[in-house]
Amino acid sequence: MKPDPDAVLGYLAGLMVQTIAPQVQPQYLAGVIGMSGMLLGMAAQEWDRAADRLVKENRAIRGLFRQAERVGLDADLAQEVRALAGGQDDDLRISALESVNTGLRAALISLHAAVETRTDAASRALNDAIWAELSASTSRRAYTGSPF
Amino acid sequence: MAELSEDRIAAYAASRLPGARDVAVSGLARISGGASRETYRLRLRYVDADGRSVERPLILRRDPPASLIETERHIEFAAYRAFHGSPVPVPQMLWLEEDPAHLDYPFFVAEELTGFESSPGALTGEAYDPVREKLGRRKWTILGEISRADPEALGLTTVMAKVAPEDCWRRELDYWEGVLDEDEVTPQPIIRAAIRWLRANPPPPAQKISVVHGDFRTGNFLYDAAGEIHGILDWEMAHLGDPLEDLGWGLNRIWCWGQNDLRGGLLPRDQAIAVWEQASGLKADPAALHWWELFNCVKGQGIWVSGAKAWSDGETRDPILIISAWRMFNPQDRAALELMGRL
Repeated sequence: MKPDPDAVLGYLAGLMVQTIAPQVQPQYLAGVIGMSGMLLGMAAQEWDRAADRLVKENRAIRGLFRQAERVGLDADLAQEVRALAGGQDDDLRISALESVNTGLRAALISLHAAVETRTDAASRALNDAIWAELSASTSRRAYTGSPF
Repeated sequence: MAELSEDRIAAYAASRLPGARDVAVSGLARISGGASRETYRLRLRYVDADGRSVERPLILRRDPPASLIETERHIEFAAYRAFHGSPVPVPQMLWLEEDPAHLDYPFFVAEELTGFESSPGALTGEAYDPVREKLGRRKWTILGEISRADPEALGLTTVMAKVAPEDCWRRELDYWEGVLDEDEVTPQPIIRAAIRWLRANPPPPAQKISVVHGDFRTGNFLYDAAGEIHGILDWEMAHLGDPLEDLGWGLNRIWCWGQNDLRGGLLPRDQAIAVWEQASGLKADPAALHWWELFNCVKGQGIWVSGAKAWSDGETRDPILIISAWRMFNPQDRAALELMGRL
């Protein structure tokens, strides 16, 4: 699509927030238009990066699951993370990547809970790696204008 | 369902004003008033029983079909009433109506405090540089007054659920974890890790049972350019509990509005705590406050996921629910990471 959708959405966001909303009455509708503009602006930021962000995140979580093979997990959890570690993102539509990401992050919660209280070196290393990835994931998801 | 109209509101007002005549409502307009209730501005005119002409600007807050948070309006109403006339400035409450026959949903009516600002965004502008510290001191002094107040003397122990000092943390954590269990639209590995830490490291019992406003933050009070605060709003999550809960919520990074060294966009963290301690006469034990700050990241994420779920399920299409989810999920996670030393 040309012009690039992120540029188009970003322009429309600015138009709605800065030009249209201040001229709209009643106040509530002006607020709705302003919020709609903000949403377009966030969608513009996400448009270009969403697939890249999700592929990187899914890849990173699968890496954590491979690392978990060095940790003695209970059989069910070990089987679950081993199966997920072998997956790959063949379908690059955002909805497909999100669906895979949801499954990976749900399993990551179980893995994290299983290793975080262990004291052996492999578990501590995995715990630190999980935290590092969680922190990195928030950097990937950050957007301009975030409150924090 | 009939449209909310000036005539319907006037008919209701007439029923609440014995002896009044010529009751009329004008200027009805919906305004942005938070995500938990529909908020309307209106002007009420009537001739009272003594023949005097009365004109009042009012606010009507009506339950929506769905909202960010499930709350009891009679508790919110009681909290406003309890603090009216106290050092905690609040608008006067007029009528609480829980019968949906009148305006389709329960609602309450209060006086409108006119001529003041509530937007946190406005505070970041240079115009507020000279009064930002004064506003911050007023904000945390007022929170200290809320924390200092005696809930029994205010009559709120008969309205709000009682809780023992040692149970405050568990009750709140159970509730908000339950909200996440029910409404989580996407897995929350950071917040789930926070919950596990909170359960493994409970705080000491509350030093006293206070009224907890529940959403005491920049954006929920009315202020002016001179640095004065004229009304504390949005008491819909008010309850009895540990006063550190409110302090921790107000200090949350998500309410810094981009000014990360200023909590609430107003004061450095240590200064805000010192002002609160002086006003409340209470102590903010660092370890206990840390627990409540991290808990408030769980609570915040619980609120944002509830809005996302309500929108996704089609209960309501108010864009503020999407804003809350899209804008707050990630900063809330980052705030939790920072508190856990993992950012």
